[in-house]
Amino acid sequence: MKQVGNNIETFSLKSKFKRFKRDNNRWSVFTLAIVLFLALPIIFIGVELFAGPGETWGHILEFLLPDYVWNSLYLIIFCSGLVLTLGVSSAWFVSRFDFPMRKQLEWLLILPLAIPSYIVGYAYAGIFDYGGSLNLILRQLNLDFIRIEIMNRAGLAFVLSISLFPYVYVSARAFFLNQANNLLEASKMLGVSERKTFFKLMLPLARPAIVAGLVLVIMEVLNDYGAAQYYGVNTFTTGIFRSWFSLEEPETAVYLSAILIVIIFSLILFEKWQIRKVKFTSSKTNNTQIQRIKPQKSLRFTIFFLVLIPVILGFVLPVSQLIYWSYLTASTVFDLEFLIISLKSFGIAITSAFITVFFALLLIYFSKWSALKFIKNVARIGVLGYAIPGAVIAIGIMIPTLALDKWLIEFLAKFGIETGFIINGTLIALFYAYAVRFLAVAYNPIESTALKVDNSIPDSSKVLGVGNLKTFIRIEFPLIKTGVFSAVILVFIDVMKELPLTLILKPYHIDTLAVKAFEYASDEMVMEAAIPSLFIIFTAMIPVIFLNKLLIKK
Amino acid sequence: MLKINSLSKSFNKGKSYALKNVSFDLKAGDVCAIVGESGSGKTTLVRLIAGLERPDDGSILLDGNVVASMQKFIQPNKRKIGLVFQEYALFPHLTIIENVLYGISKLKNKKLRAVEMLELVGLSEMESRYPHQLSGGQQQRVALARALAPNPSLLILDEPFSNLDSMLRMQLRNEVFEIIKKTGVTVLFVTHDTQDALSVADEILILQNGKVVQKDAAANLYVKPNTLYVASLFGNTIQINKNLQAAFRCPLNEDCCHAIRNEKIMVNPSNLDSDCEYTTNAKVIKKIVLGDTIQLLLKLDSGEQLSVTTQDNNIEGEITIGFNSKDILEFK
Repeated sequence: MKQVGNNIETFSLKSKFKRFKRDNNRWSVFTLAIVLFLALPIIFIGVELFAGPGETWGHILEFLLPDYVWNSLYLIIFCSGLVLTLGVSSAWFVSRFDFPMRKQLEWLLILPLAIPSYIVGYAYAGIFDYGGSLNLILRQLNLDFIRIEIMNRAGLAFVLSISLFPYVYVSARAFFLNQANNLLEASKMLGVSERKTFFKLMLPLARPAIVAGLVLVIMEVLNDYGAAQYYGVNTFTTGIFRSWFSLEEPETAVYLSAILIVIIFSLILFEKWQIRKVKFTSSKTNNTQIQRIKPQKSLRFTIFFLVLIPVILGFVLPVSQLIYWSYLTASTVFDLEFLIISLKSFGIAITSAFITVFFALLLIYFSKWSALKFIKNVARIGVLGYAIPGAVIAIGIMIPTLALDKWLIEFLAKFGIETGFIINGTLIALFYAYAVRFLAVAYNPIESTALKVDNSIPDSSKVLGVGNLKTFIRIEFPLIKTGVFSAVILVFIDVMKELPLTLILKPYHIDTLAVKAFEYASDEMVMEAAIPSLFIIFTAMIPVIFLNKLLIKK
Repeated sequence: MLKINSLSKSFNKGKSYALKNVSFDLKAGDVCAIVGESGSGKTTLVRLIAGLERPDDGSILLDGNVVASMQKFIQPNKRKIGLVFQEYALFPHLTIIENVLYGISKLKNKKLRAVEMLELVGLSEMESRYPHQLSGGQQQRVALARALAPNPSLLILDEPFSNLDSMLRMQLRNEVFEIIKKTGVTVLFVTHDTQDALSVADEILILQNGKVVQKDAAANLYVKPNTLYVASLFGNTIQINKNLQAAFRCPLNEDCCHAIRNEKIMVNPSNLDSDCEYTTNAKVIKKIVLGDTIQLLLKLDSGEQLSVTTQDNNIEGEITIGFNSKDILEFK
């Protein structure tokens, strides 16, 4: 098309530069600064690669790395299979069929999310142990020749799957409930059987939602340290821990972290590519609720039992085991020190929740106020920390803060000021790490409520002569309060459950409930780990139910 | 007071333009309507003027000061423009009076001003209610009071009546413009409805595909439209193409495009008007009764089909139709 008048110049490089100069405001700079700040751990891992690998790297490369790769791959494949089977089938059953106690089971299926994987691991170790609960029951039945060994790779995969399947369940169910009804009806009208409708229509359509849940599961599998360590399975994460604590070779930990980062980013790219290929879901949410089928009695009870199995395996059994242990150990574990640890845990979690939510708000609104389009995409990079295993983030923070602290100590010494470490091994480093790791947990609920506020509302405030910050305080914040509140709660739960990152970065004198449980388990006192574990579960449980309501709304 | 110079805006880096080379002026005290179909760039234009979008080219001057150009951009909160959004955009968590007070918090006698504004729009007894407790029309008036409270130099109304049904719409339109007339503010009023525009605007600006096709006094647009598009916006119009020219035996200038308004075509002119210049024979093939008028689908002897309107219910079969040269619209 022929350009008219001065428009020939409108998108020339010179004009673009002029506009860039006009539109570049402080909010763009602030957004970039925050993203850079949050990306520092990853950047440092990249930079540290140039320092070369440690002495044992050759040994690790030859003897351990194949083990790490193979075990991680095994866990990913095994868990994916089991998690898909449990998650998708239960999601389909509860959204398509009516059966006894369906409503209760619908949210009970989410509860395994309240238990950290390593705690499920401890509980199952107790159940299957020689002299454990199962063994005792079998002995009563004179069946004690049956012995199931669980402290191995397959056992670990089982434990991880049973505690992580709700990620797939939640996203698949959200799809089935909100998107599927009109398609289901169309399929019914065409006379297609129930079975064929599921496999030919629903499953392919739900794929993006299912894959999204699955990617979260895989990230959690790669993030896990506590369970893998307890079950004696060598993974990347345990490798990172070993090279950091036992071999005292940070360079090696950095190299392992870098490999893990590459694996995870390939995974994210795979998901993006996968979803781009099959983006059928309409953006319109379907208001009609799915019509549930009421099958005949025998089938109804079969479905009930099928759906009950994951609830029992993922929640009832481990929690019962923990309650039993708590009963046995209450007198020794429950003391003043334990109370202090609980309070500290609580305090750390709530503080870091507020800090993380604060960062999320800054990122969301600064990028919104920036007049440069690409800044909004840049802001999303700041959210990627959720994909990076806690151990990797911890290494990425440990190395630079050690260096910075050394420099600071020397620098201050010049002025005659004697200090210890200022950042490393203090709560500052820990809060920063939680913010990096859990920013997405805060960002997503806030963003989704912010999107519900029509742009014309803040726009009209601005036209009425009120600036960005005041508009946020007086208009936008009151309207997104619920999103901010749920973000605080979600980050709070995640921090309560967090183990690997906390283990590496926590101050020497501070323990959290998660760390306490881990320490008991590592010291061959797994029974004593039950009370701190139950504390974590119960603090996480109430909000998990709340989270369920939030997800249904979505 | 408002001067727009070759303003352009593209949302896809120049692949297509939401607005292209738009220029026009607005005098103080004018009420100007911007008319165009959806996607013609109306909303983009007012958002640019309000400062909610940034132009890719051109400039905007308010009271002689540049508020947006390639070098300069004045934030919306510094422009002193009143804007009433299509969806009203009242702050849902603030009461009516708090909504009106919002933009005048720095004013000395703000409370007095807010009450005055609510009185102006006839909602003074509703001041402590919340927006969701009000009807659509009432919300609209609150939005107007809120926009007028800071005494803006320019008031922009973006499709203010499109959410209302037609009866309420006409009533509210008259009410709103009576209020506006009292304040004497300069108004830019966006609509896709020509009735809205004709009934309240001094001047109308027609946008098509992001370009200004005509800006003229309301009366002139009907009589002297610049293009066939503008002509058809203000009433059904038939283009007089080569075949019709032959059928009516009216040779017209080949370099121009010609059209005739539907209502200017006379049916059986011999009975009504003896000096009809161009006529042809036609056959009624379908008759649609539209209340007080009747639409006839005709087939000319030459095979062309066209539709005309009449008030005579008895017309059927073979008829004569015709028009006068003074009614022919000519476009370059």
